[in-house]
Amino acid sequence: MEAWRLPLSSSIRGKLISAGYTSLPSISSISSSDLARDVNITEEEAFEILRLAKQSSGSSSCNGSRSLINGAKNAWDMLHEEDSLPRITTSCSDLDSILGGGISCRDVTEIGGVPGIGKTQIGIQLSVNVQIPRECGGIGGKAIYIDTEGSFMVERALQIAEACVEDMEEYTGYMHKHFQANQVQMKPKDILENIFYFRVCSYTEQIALVNHLDKFISENKDVKVVIVDSITFHFRQDFDDLVQRTRVLSEMALKFMKLAKKFSLAVVLLNQVTTKYTEGSFQLALALGDSWSHSCTNRVILYWNGDERYAYIDKSPSLPSASASYTVTSRGLRNSSSSSKRVKMM
Amino acid sequence: MRNGKMKPENLSRRSVTSRKLSTGCEILDGCLRGGISCDSVTEIVAESGCGKTQLCLQLSLCAQLPISLGGLNGSSLYLHSEFPFPFRRLHQLSHSFHQSNPSIYANHSDNPCDHVFVQNVHSVDHLFDIMPRIDGFVGNSKNRFPLKLIVLDSVAALFRSEFDNTPSDLKKRSSLFFKISGKLKQLANKFDLAVVITNQVTDFVESSDGLSGLRIGNLRYLYSSGRRVVPALGLAWANCVNSRFFISRSDDIIGKDRGEKDESGSSSVSRRAKRRLDIVFSPYLPGNSCEFMITREGICAVQA
Repeated sequence: MEAWRLPLSSSIRGKLISAGYTSLPSISSISSSDLARDVNITEEEAFEILRLAKQSSGSSSCNGSRSLINGAKNAWDMLHEEDSLPRITTSCSDLDSILGGGISCRDVTEIGGVPGIGKTQIGIQLSVNVQIPRECGGIGGKAIYIDTEGSFMVERALQIAEACVEDMEEYTGYMHKHFQANQVQMKPKDILENIFYFRVCSYTEQIALVNHLDKFISENKDVKVVIVDSITFHFRQDFDDLVQRTRVLSEMALKFMKLAKKFSLAVVLLNQVTTKYTEGSFQLALALGDSWSHSCTNRVILYWNGDERYAYIDKSPSLPSASASYTVTSRGLRNSSSSSKRVKMM
Repeated sequence: MRNGKMKPENLSRRSVTSRKLSTGCEILDGCLRGGISCDSVTEIVAESGCGKTQLCLQLSLCAQLPISLGGLNGSSLYLHSEFPFPFRRLHQLSHSFHQSNPSIYANHSDNPCDHVFVQNVHSVDHLFDIMPRIDGFVGNSKNRFPLKLIVLDSVAALFRSEFDNTPSDLKKRSSLFFKISGKLKQLANKFDLAVVITNQVTDFVESSDGLSGLRIGNLRYLYSSGRRVVPALGLAWANCVNSRFFISRSDDIIGKDRGEKDESGSSSVSRRAKRRLDIVFSPYLPGNSCEFMITREGICAVQA
C-alpha cells in the first residue's frame, strides 16, 4: 500500500513523500524520533504516522490473500485494490467526479463523440496529466499516444504541458511553504519527451503496433496510459471481409484489456460517432459499435447540450450513469464556468 | 513488418509549431495562427461563389514562397472536380504574385504557374487511379520545387451523382470517404504536405430524427447568404478531416460597387460582398472568425 493513502493531513503527507517515504514498509522499519528528524515534523506527528501505518498493514494482512487457487483473488482483496487504484485526473473536477476520481488504471475506457467535441483534447490532457508527480497527487507515469488521424499537434500539447507545469508550481508552492521549497523539476519539454508518440497511417500499421505494445511497455514500465486517437478511423474503409474485420477488432480489444491488467495502466480509446440505421430511422452510435461494444470496461459519450460540452457515462460496471459539463480552454480541459448544477445524476 | 514505425517519435525534437502555409493575407493568417497546417487535412466549406476556389488558388501560389515568408518552398497539385477550372483567374493572380515576388523567379526565368499542376478528377474511381501516381510524382519530379500542397476542389462534386439516398448506398459512400481521407493523410504525413479539401453546403432541412441539425464544432448554426446551411456529405465525412473552416457571405457590400467586370468578362462573383471565415473545429485553434473580401489581387482581410 502506498504511503499517500494514509489518512493524514495533506501537508504532512506532502512532507513524508518528499522525504522519500512512499511505501509502508519504509515507514514501519524506522523509529518515531528518526522519522521526526528526517521528515521535519514533531515526534507526536511521527508517532501518529507509525500508528496509522501499523494499522493499515495489519488490516490488509487480515483480509489477506488466503486464496485457494494460485493467482486467484478473493472479493475483499479486489475491492481493496479497486479503492486504491490510481487514477489520472482530466483537469476537470466535474468530469473526474463522474469517473470516480479520474480515468482508472487497469481499465479500458472508450470515449466517443462528434468531431470537434474535444476527444483529442482529452487525449492530450491525459497524456500530460499521467506525468503529474506523486508529490502533487499524480501517479508520475509516462504516456503512449497512438495517433491514427494526424490530430495531435505538438504546439497544443506544449500549451497544455506549460499550463500543467504552472499549476503544479502553484500547488507545490502552497503545500510546502513551511520548509525549503521543493521546486517542481518538470519542464514542459520534459513532459513532451515522456509522451511516446506513434503515428499510424493504415490498419496494418495499427495492428502491428498494438501487437508490439507488450514488448515496448515491458521495456518502459513507467508507461501508465495508452491513448489511441482514434481507434476506428482506419477500419471504417471498406473491408472485403467484414467478419475478419470484426475478428481483428475483437482481438485488438482483448489485447488492450490484457495490457491494462498486466501493467496496471489505463487504456483510453477515442472513437468517432456514426449514424446507425435501425428500425427505420437513423440514430447516433459509436463507430463499429457492434464489433466493439463488448470490449470496453467503461464508455463515455461526449455531446453538445446547447452551447456546452457534456460527458456522459454510458457504460460502466461500477460508476452510476451521470453527466458532467466541461470546457476546452487554451490551458486544456477545465470545468465549465456556468454556476448551475454541473454534475447531473441520472 | 518494417521496424521504423515501432519506434516512437521524440516530440521534443520537433519544432514547436508544425509548418504552416500562409494564406497570403496577414489578418487571415493571424486568425489561423500562421496559416494552413502541414501533415494535416484542412477542409474549407462554403456555398458557391464564396471564395473557396480563390483561397485555394492563392494557397497554390503562396506555397512557392520561401519558408521565411510563410511559404513551403514547394509546388502544388490542384485536383479539380468542378468545371471549368478558372485558368484565367489563376493567370491573373499569378501575374500579381510574380510582380510582388520577382526574386523567386529571376534566376530561373519561370513563372508561378509553372509550379501549379492542375489535374481534373471526374469520379471517385478516377481519384483512386491518380493517388498512386502522386507518390511517384513527389519522388521523381523534375520541378525545382518539391510538391508541398495538394488541393482537392471539391470533394462534394465527386459524390454528386453516383449515389442514391438508400442506407446501403450511403454506407458505401461513407467507406469511400475514409479511404480517400486515409490515403491523403498518409501522403500528408509521408511528405509533410498540406492538404486542403473544399466542400459545398446544402440547405438545412429539418429531419424527423433530428440528426440533420446535429451540432458539429464551435458554431451551432451555419448561415450563408441569409439561409441556414449544412456542410455536404454529412457526419461521416466530417470525421475524415482534421480541421474545418466555414466561409460564408453576407449581403453587405463593402465600398461602392463600381460595376467593374473582371478580365474574363464575368461579374457573377460579387467581389465586393463581405466574406467571413469561421473556425468550426480544429485540433489546436480556438473558435475564432475573420472577415475578408476578394479583389483583383486576391483575398484581403477587412480590418476589424
